[in-house]
Amino acid sequence: MTAFLFLIVAVKNSIMRKTILYFLLAPLLLFACEKNTSGPSTSKGNETTGQGGSLATFAIVGNYLYTVSESQLKVFDIAEQGNPQLKNTENIGFTIETIFPFKDKLFIGSPTQIFIYSIEDPANPKKLSSAISPTVMRRCDPVVAKDSVAYATLRTNGPCGGTQSVLAVYNIKDITNPVQVYTVPVSEPYGLGYSGDVLYVCDKYAGLMLFDISDPYTPTQIDHNLQDGIYQDVIPYQNTLICWTTTGVILYDISDNRNPVLIKSIN
Amino acid sequence: MGKNKTELLCNENAKPVVRKKINTTDMRRFVSFFILSLILFSCDPKPGVGWTRDIYVPVYSTISSVQQYDVEPAKPTEQAGKIYAYQNYIFQNDLYEGIHIIYNKDQNPVKVAFLKIPLNTDIAIKGNYLYANNYTDLVVFDITDPQHPQFVRRVANVFPQVNQDYPPFTNVYFQCTDKSKGIVVRWEKNDSIPVPNCRR
Repeated sequence: MTAFLFLIVAVKNSIMRKTILYFLLAPLLLFACEKNTSGPSTSKGNETTGQGGSLATFAIVGNYLYTVSESQLKVFDIAEQGNPQLKNTENIGFTIETIFPFKDKLFIGSPTQIFIYSIEDPANPKKLSSAISPTVMRRCDPVVAKDSVAYATLRTNGPCGGTQSVLAVYNIKDITNPVQVYTVPVSEPYGLGYSGDVLYVCDKYAGLMLFDISDPYTPTQIDHNLQDGIYQDVIPYQNTLICWTTTGVILYDISDNRNPVLIKSIN
Repeated sequence: MGKNKTELLCNENAKPVVRKKINTTDMRRFVSFFILSLILFSCDPKPGVGWTRDIYVPVYSTISSVQQYDVEPAKPTEQAGKIYAYQNYIFQNDLYEGIHIIYNKDQNPVKVAFLKIPLNTDIAIKGNYLYANNYTDLVVFDITDPQHPQFVRRVANVFPQVNQDYPPFTNVYFQCTDKSKGIVVRWEKNDSIPVPNCRR
């Protein structure tokens, strides 16, 4: 599976930052693939919608279910509860791995590109832009967006992947033209999510890394990683951080979002 | 194009793939190929498989077993898959098997049931309805009582079918398919078997 992750170590040296930026620019063009709001599920009347992780291939926005498989984006109308109607099939042209809804946009992650679709007309997603990863060895998956910033983990693929895996930060004020503004080297990153001013990033070797994103464009690592398993993805959900690990699920209390407290591991 | 080539190579009676003795007339071609191979494949060596890279085997099932759903007692997770949060419940896919349902009341999460959905990999939930992929179909369950999901309906043939003739990769060997064994529901990598006759 593709991966992208981010490093925990904030790169403060500007020369090094520039170098890393240059290296990583291309692969990092991916954007939001995941939905990570720290608040409760959206709700209309009794129709609560749940929440997936940054590696999801299914996403519900309003009365529509969006799914990605192989190179297709499918749109199902679910206005009549429990009775989905296939409304549209969009051929993206590349293998798709993740889908992340953000406001009236869909961020669709493929191994080499991120596609940004508008769902202003929800049954007819319209492509706004795509960001091409210049390094074919790199693959980009998960992305989360918050206000005018998006975070993606870009994982190099295997020992010959070339450049360093990173956590990439994009300015998405102009959502049709995301601009990478910062990168943090990481070892082997997977999913990610945020709660308030803390970004959680899964890394195979470092564990679950925490970043302070009170300055959203310059994440700084908070000094302790969680290492209760091998983390794949996270869903910050109300006061609970739900982690997918290779053996099951681990839950943390994140009432204090900088200091997750282990609740339970379920295998 | 790929299909014709594949069929051509998929002859059950074909002799196993063996390296031919290299004679001098072939030497130049061989050397070129060897060097090219080094360049192309040096990042991902597969010792012991000769020139091949990966070997894939088809996994078979039947339509009736693919469409067999069940609510089972909670059980251990085998291949932990994607997660989904909905109200006081957490759902976790068990790869190709179904969904673990976890009740998270007062921060004391407990597995309460397993919803068997063959070949499932992902879900989403809105308004007490759970939507899941089930091979080529989208299936819907009513989870008004999340511990006892009820099958509601299937929307058939909305997701791509797995290729029945060859795996979705090139430069690979694979076990030739046998339609009498059922439908191919996925291709699994398996480099520990003898090199099969089919390749693409």
